[in-house]
Parts: sequence; structure tokens; C-alpha cells
Amino acid sequence: MTTQQLRPIVSVFPIKGKVKTIKQVPLPSVFSAPIRPDVVRFVHTNMAKNNRQAHAVSTTAGEQTSATSWGTGRAVARIPRVKGSGTGRSGQAAFGNMCRGGRMYAPKKVWRKWHRKINTNQKRYAVCSAIAATAVTPLVMSRGHRVNKLPELPLVVSDQLQSLTKTRQAVKFLKFIGAYRDVEKVIRTKKTRVGQGKYRNRRHVLRKGPMVVYARNLGIKKAFRNIPGVETASVYTLNLLKLAPGSQMGRFIIWTESAFKLLEDIYGSWEKPSKFKSGFYLPRPVMVNTDVERIIKSDQVQTVLRNRRPRSRKYGKKIQRADPYEDMSVMVKLNPYYKTKLQKQKELEEKNKKERKEIVDKSRKEYEDWLYFSEEEEEEEEEEEEEGSDEDREIEVLSDEN
Amino acid sequence: MSKQVPETIKKQVKRSFNSKEVKKEKNEKRMKLLKEIQTKAFKRAEKYEKEYLEQEQKLVELKQQALKEGSFYREPEPKLAFIIRIRGIVGVPPKPRKILQLLRLRRIYSGVFIRLNKSSLRMLHFIDPYVTWGYPDVETVRALIYKRGHARVNHQRKIIDSNEMIYDKLQKFDIVCMEDLVHEIYTVGKNFKHANSFLWAFKLKPPVGGFSTVKKSFVNKGEHGNREQYINTLVKKMI
Repeated sequence: MTTQQLRPIVSVFPIKGKVKTIKQVPLPSVFSAPIRPDVVRFVHTNMAKNNRQAHAVSTTAGEQTSATSWGTGRAVARIPRVKGSGTGRSGQAAFGNMCRGGRMYAPKKVWRKWHRKINTNQKRYAVCSAIAATAVTPLVMSRGHRVNKLPELPLVVSDQLQSLTKTRQAVKFLKFIGAYRDVEKVIRTKKTRVGQGKYRNRRHVLRKGPMVVYARNLGIKKAFRNIPGVETASVYTLNLLKLAPGSQMGRFIIWTESAFKLLEDIYGSWEKPSKFKSGFYLPRPVMVNTDVERIIKSDQVQTVLRNRRPRSRKYGKKIQRADPYEDMSVMVKLNPYYKTKLQKQKELEEKNKKERKEIVDKSRKEYEDWLYFSEEEEEEEEEEEEEGSDEDREIEVLSDEN
Repeated sequence: MSKQVPETIKKQVKRSFNSKEVKKEKNEKRMKLLKEIQTKAFKRAEKYEKEYLEQEQKLVELKQQALKEGSFYREPEPKLAFIIRIRGIVGVPPKPRKILQLLRLRRIYSGVFIRLNKSSLRMLHFIDPYVTWGYPDVETVRALIYKRGHARVNHQRKIIDSNEMIYDKLQKFDIVCMEDLVHEIYTVGKNFKHANSFLWAFKLKPPVGGFSTVKKSFVNKGEHGNREQYINTLVKKMI
């Protein structure tokens, strides 16, 4: 909430000559009112209903028959049917909303509630928001106004504007200040209305151009009256429907200097009430500092926070891992001793193999030795045989028999 | 145009819990710990290899001694069993169903280790028709834990991909590596309960070559019930 001293400065421009600052005025407090699109939308939708004209369907429409139902047993629907004969109309269904020529469902009545009451404070809130939005360039641009060539937004112009009488002067001024592009847009996009309004005296549709707000009408109203898209308004009676057409905030407004200054009196501030709206103070925002990121990142907050917990590995990625019996690196990671174990096993195997081999060799050698010696003995025996006597032979024979 | 770092970011980095220096410190600590774990793992694995070998040899010795004396050597009753559920979920009566749940055998071909005592033997009695069980040897226990060992971490089933995982959970029971885990399970140590509950129930594959008939008990040429040491060959087919 700004105090008088802290209010920014806005330049005032002349209406002809050179586009440069001739004066500087402080920004009225209204422009720092909270911008509430929800409030504006609510108020606008209800306010827009207030210029409606009652309409209804004739009370007798569809009822001007003496139709009666034929009842059951006649192989026809039980809807009331027109009495009599001799005409095509007789026997036709009547009265129902589904019937041709029948009365409509829930015939419209003039005593429908056409207008809406809106709380005064809400209305004022919406207007304050809408006025504040007219100073926010992005909002004005997003509403569709061509404001690139303007020297400044909000655009404040000297009071001489209020004394203009000729449309030519008005157009010259708009071109001078850079606002004519918006008017050109309006002219360019004038179209025949879509729908039945075109033959109900609402033939053409125009965009909204700049709005000129004055404090005193010294001819300005008539000067700007015929320029397509341009509207004029007294600062005392700013209309939300004009400030936020279609409940879209950010109308392009050209203020005269005195109108601009009067805004401070008309809408007041947070400390001083309005001079014209009794007891009205500017609406207070819900949050004074809306830069939440900056608040969170500030030292005052950050130093009091606890440390960030390490990212929970609770639902981490699924770990893939090879089969340790197929991938040696995985095996060694799990059991660093494994390689040594294999080595030792290998060594042991080889040792056993060697031992076994020795044993086998040894026993084979023994066998061969035994075989060799037994061969020698046989040979010796054979030799002895040849040399031997009959007696020996006999003995041998006997022994052979044995 | 030089890239200007916003002040808020600069301040944030300074204050940051995850600043470069802090991260570096943490990483160094972790690396040191991992190294410690691996050296411990090496030494313990060595120790256990010797232990298992000695056990085997002792058994053989005692048997031989008994033979020499002309008597018998009665081996100590097995302390550890591995149970595999071999029947599905459909049509299981409430009592066996509850017991299977308690043993974490919630699906077919799931396996768990269990310590054998009077209570657990009685539990096994009730679920005999739905499971096959036996006494695993070291190599079976090893293969199961290495190849199909998943840890229960944060109520999730995570494959054991490093000793750090085991250290984090079981360090207070002096189990820091895979071999420790295997040893604890195989020898049913003091902290068997914790080691076993650290392991998620094993999810095995259907056996290569199939079953004969699950409806009959192993003793009757079927598959269910106690099959003592033949559980090892079965696990080899299912792992």
C-alpha cells in the first residue's frame, strides 16, 4: 500500500506540437487497487443484464383452441385434439409443447427477473480493479488494443483536449498521440453482425477503441462522438461495462489531466476515504506482496527452514543385475573372495591331479616291474627245463597233473 | 554479455544442503565405507570357506571313527530347511492356507528358508501336501541367495546388487556381506530370524523336466513333503 510520497509519476502530454512531457502528476491510488478478474466478471455479468428489455411469448399463444383428448380406445395418442370437422385442423393435436401449433414449454413471462442487484461495494471494487488494469500494458494489449506507439500508459493528456469541438481536431490529436492505430483497427474490422440482430437495427458490429475520460465537457463529447470505436466518459461516472467490455479488463483509456487527478478524490486511497462515495476506501488486496517465489527465496525464510531431506530412494528405479554365476564382475562385487576361492580350488585340483598322477605312475611302474621280473623267471624256468633229466621230467609231469 | 547469476541462486547454493563440498564429503565417506565392507567381506568369506570344509571333514572323520569302533555315528538333526510351495492358490483349506501365509509361501514355486524346531515341524506337517521341503547344502543356499536373493527394503522387493545393501540393514547383527548372509542362513546362527526376514521369499521357476505328480508324497514317488537332501537337486532345476 503506497503512501503519498511513494506514488510513481505519470507524464502529461500536450495535444499537439511535440510528443514530450509538459508536466508530471502522481499516479492516483486507484491504480494500485487489487486487480480482481473474478470480481469484475461477476459484477459485469450482472450489470450487463440491467439494460435488458422484457420480452415474452403471448399468453394466449397455442391456447386458442378448445381441444380435448379423445381418450383411450381410438388407436391414437391421448394428446388433446382439436374439435370439429371440415378442416384440416380438426383432429390435430393441440396444446402440448410437442404439438405443431401448440403452446411452448414454460411460456416466457414478462415478469422474469431481468435486472440484477449488485452490492454497491462490489460494483465499486470492480470499477477500481478495472481502472487499475487500464494502467497495466500487458492487460491492455491482451485485450486487443494497439498501444505500441503510445508514449506512456496510463496516457494522460493536457486539459486542452476537453475544449476540442471539431472531429477533425480530435482525429488529428489521436494520430498525434499514437492512438489512431486503435481507431484504424476498429474501422478495418467493422462487420455485419452475425445473426438476427442484423435486421433488428443492430446491423454492424464494431470493436472497442480508445476511451477518452474527461473532467469537464467543453466540446470534447461531440468532437469524439463520430469517430468509430472511440467512447467518451466523464470521470465522475465511469461505467464498468465500458471499462471492462465483455468483462475483459484493460480498456485503452486516454485521461485528461484534471480527470486523472480527480481519480484520487473520487476513489480515495487506503488512508483517505473517497470524497464522492461516502465511506468508501480503496479495496485492500489479500496479499500485499504477491511475489511468492521471492518470499520463499528470501533470507528471512530460508534461514529458518530445516535442511532438505535426501531424496528418498523409496521408489527408486528397478535395479538390474546380471546373474553372478554368469557374470564374474557381479560375483566379485558381491563376494570379493570369489576369485581367490576359484584360484585355490584350481590349485587344489592341480595338486590332487599331480598326486594322483604320481600314485598312478608309481603303481604302474610297480606293475611293469613285477611283469618284467616274472617274465625273467619264466625264461629261467624254461632254460632249466631244457637242461633237465627224465626224472625231473617225471616230477614235472606229476607236478603238471597237480 | 556475461551470464549473471541471480543473487537468490547464489545464496541458495551457499546455503545448500547438497552443495558441491557437502556432496564430495559424503561421497568420500561412502567410498571409504564400501572399501571397508569389501575388505571385511573378503576376510569373512575366507574364514567361512575354511569353516565349511572343516565341518565336512569333521563329519567324515566322526563317521569313520564310529565305523572303526563298530558303532554308529548319529548325525545331528538338520537345523535348516528350504520349503518350496508346489501347489497353487485355488482350493486350499483355511488352516494350511494360513500356515502358508505365515511362512510367506503365497504363490506357487515360492521358496523360503525355515529353521527346524518342534513348532515349525508341526507347521510343516499341516502344509505337507502343498509343499516340498528338504535340507539344503551350502551350494544350494549360496545359489539361491546370489542368483535369486532379493532384499526387503522399504517394503519393496529389491535385488541384492551390492554388499552395501546388506550392510545398511543387517550391520547391527554383524552381517555385512553376501557370505555373511549365506553363513547365517546355512548355520542357523543367532540372527537367523533377521537374516531370513531380510530376504524376500524366493520366486523360483517351474522345474526343468517337470514334476511327476504333486498329489502324491515324495515317499510315494510323488513330489510333496519332505525330500531331505534331494531338495538340492530340485532347487538346481528350479533356480
